[in-house]
Amino acid sequence: MRGLGRYVSLFGLQLRTSGLLAAQYRWDFLIDGALSVFSAAAALVPLFVVYADERRGIPGWSFEESLVVIGCFLLLQAILEGAINPGLVAVIEHIRKGTLDFVLLKPADAQFLVSTSRFQLWRVAGLVNASIVFTFAFTRLGRWPSAVGVLQMAVLVAAAVWILYSLWIVIVSAAFYVVKIDNLTYLFTSLFDLARWPVTVFRGALRVVFTVLLPLGLMTTYPAEALLGRLDWPTLVASVLGAGLFAAAARAVWLRSIRHYTSAGG
Amino acid sequence: MSLWRPLKVLPTLMRVGFAESLAYRAEMIIWVFATTMPFVMLALWSAVAHAAPVASSSGRSWGSAEFVAYFLTMFMVRQLVSAWAAWEINFEIRQGTLAMRLLKPLHPVWSFATSNVAAMPLRAAVSIPVLVVLFAVGAHRQLASDWRLWPLVPFALLGGWLIAFFANVAIGSLAFRMEQSLKVMDVWFTCFFVFSGYLVPTDLFPPWLRAVAAYLPFRYQLGFPVELLLGQHELGSALRMLAAQWAWALGLMTVALVLWRLGVRRFQAVGG
Amino acid sequence: MIRVRGLKKHYRVHKRPPGAAAALKALFRRDWQTVKAVDGIDFELGAGECVGFLGPNGAGKTTTLKTLAGLLHPSEGEVRVDGHEPQRRESAFLEKIMLVMGQKQQLLWDLPPAETFELNRAIYDVPKDVYRRRLDELVTLLALGELVNKPTRQLSLGERMKCELVAALVHGPKVLFLDEPTIGLDVSMQVAMRDFIRRYNQQTGATILLTSHYMDDVEALCPRVVVIDKGRLSFDGTLASLVQQVKPEKRLTLRFASPTTRAQVEALGTVVKFSAAESELQIPAAQVSAVVAKALGTLPVRDLNVENAPLEEVMSELFARTAADTRSTEAVR
Repeated sequence: MRGLGRYVSLFGLQLRTSGLLAAQYRWDFLIDGALSVFSAAAALVPLFVVYADERRGIPGWSFEESLVVIGCFLLLQAILEGAINPGLVAVIEHIRKGTLDFVLLKPADAQFLVSTSRFQLWRVAGLVNASIVFTFAFTRLGRWPSAVGVLQMAVLVAAAVWILYSLWIVIVSAAFYVVKIDNLTYLFTSLFDLARWPVTVFRGALRVVFTVLLPLGLMTTYPAEALLGRLDWPTLVASVLGAGLFAAAARAVWLRSIRHYTSAGG
Repeated sequence: MSLWRPLKVLPTLMRVGFAESLAYRAEMIIWVFATTMPFVMLALWSAVAHAAPVASSSGRSWGSAEFVAYFLTMFMVRQLVSAWAAWEINFEIRQGTLAMRLLKPLHPVWSFATSNVAAMPLRAAVSIPVLVVLFAVGAHRQLASDWRLWPLVPFALLGGWLIAFFANVAIGSLAFRMEQSLKVMDVWFTCFFVFSGYLVPTDLFPPWLRAVAAYLPFRYQLGFPVELLLGQHELGSALRMLAAQWAWALGLMTVALVLWRLGVRRFQAVGG
Repeated sequence: MIRVRGLKKHYRVHKRPPGAAAALKALFRRDWQTVKAVDGIDFELGAGECVGFLGPNGAGKTTTLKTLAGLLHPSEGEVRVDGHEPQRRESAFLEKIMLVMGQKQQLLWDLPPAETFELNRAIYDVPKDVYRRRLDELVTLLALGELVNKPTRQLSLGERMKCELVAALVHGPKVLFLDEPTIGLDVSMQVAMRDFIRRYNQQTGATILLTSHYMDDVEALCPRVVVIDKGRLSFDGTLASLVQQVKPEKRLTLRFASPTTRAQVEALGTVVKFSAAESELQIPAAQVSAVVAKALGTLPVRDLNVENAPLEEVMSELFARTAADTRSTEAVR
């Protein structure tokens, strides 16, 4: 398949450009790393305070189990901030400066081009944080996740990234209609903060919203449950199907917006 | 800098700033709704307090009602004691448009300050629904009952805002020297989240952590006005906190103005 | 009004070489080099003068203007604007001057320009009646009308630039620095801006120092020009004498009644352009009358026309020449 090969090499090229950019900003290397450790530690403070007294806690979740949720959160946050958000910012700039035309002129899928145009490679540090939190949690638990659990978790994380990416594409599509949406990235990140805790902290209607409409629960709670070995298969299958549905809808919205953009004459 | 001109210009600066905030209302509403953290924390703490009230080391008991009042008030106060001059300054230095401000016979800090303050009415208006909810769920019963605390509230809010604003100016001024001064703002924000009481009421901190928070500006910026509104302080301790808050505000102001001055000197040396 | 003595402005910048390996290396060590943006210039401007400040890109024009406006500290030398030391940025000084940059704007983007005008009125503390009269004049002169009440972002580039000028002139500056005020504007808009600047200079007696890439601007506005190249002054005098000095040759255009051959025309002098019906010649100024007489005698001339070489050509010749000079001095060293 000629097309696929081209996309792989394009991806490599875009990654290399980001690497060069990352090397240009020498302080980012240290600062981003330190900063991510720092903010990860800060994110843990509320949890430590909650569990400082053994008599209290999140119903149904022990301290270590909540830590696993936070680990999943840090993992996804690193992917979100390192690979998904930068592209979003780049597209919004393209649209504002009117340079998106150059992207659309190129003989490759526009969605692919814009979403791989920029990576914040230093955010890899976030993955290290996540693994530290996982190690700490499972050491305290005194048991390690089963192979099936890890596999389930990997599938769910992939589905979660897929959903995040789709949400992102929907937001970018909005940028075609409303020009000033810089703040939407911020809104996006803030909404993602809701995934910090097990979805069970939300009660009633909110829980339905965060499980089905805006599947934040799926992104961190289910992967954590998979690692803890208590996820049932139907939930897994439903999650993957849901992610697929989400992605298809997002792609449709994107294609529609591109049509809107080109027909509006920029 | 003399005070006479700024005072004369102030009404016009405020009027134009308000008009500008109206022009950017859509962005601002999004921004306000993006400050969801108090609600995230409210969900967590309500879940924790659902079974039994949480007891703090100071002996106060936090049930669902207390958490609702705390985090809703927190959301509203956050709208009033925030500033974003660091981003404006950073952006203008990099775009070179700061030059246009430096050509004017008015210290640019005044125009940054007024543009931030002028947006307050609109920000306050956006938090009205939250205020309505506060009353609807009966959380207003948690507000301070000692009437003598209420005259202090405006001063506490102003003091909190001054801390936020001058921290912004100080960090923004670093952009004269550093390409990535906004990272410093990230550090500031992370500390702010932890120590201001934004995520966890400082009352629930273990004693040692509370002691750390007492020596940092963050609690005075946000936590203190909220605690005051909720009547968590006796008059005496409230006045002591207020004095500490204003000491921080004035200290940060001095630091910010010195950094600004050094920055402008550097701007003149290397150009924009 | 303006006095510049031995002005130098040097920067230290770090080199950022291309390539991944070099970028990695730059993480740890940076190479610095000194850029001499302005390297010892002197000139003076009298009150009410309108002077063109010319030079190729990167010659130091903007640096000099920014220094004169107090945005930059001179590395060396002395600058005085109406008795003030610009870099001290005293209010009294700032109230007298304004710098207009064609590529930087002060108008509030999402509000009508009228708001920025009002803001500047307050900042410069202009009395209300003076402000109203001045604004009326400016708005009429620039034919802005109701445009000042439309949000800035909805204005065209030309309209925006006109409003920038109004915002810059609300406080009636005595000294005006214009950096590429007509950049990117269409021809009719350029003409309008030019007329306005000339009239402002004549009516208010303001001193104006202007840089522009469009020689038409300079020709229309500035009797005197100062040329800077590679941080040094290479000319200071009237526009006519600049042309005299750089390209003393005249252009002779001949239009013929019947077709002529190239050889016939070449017999008269250096041919710049040739066609059977019309030719352009370049001839030394001293020989103009002789050559014209010869042309009338030997060729079927229907019509002729003698003028200076176009200013654009004069400038490119001048810049090419200074570049060659620097190269030869460097070679000697």
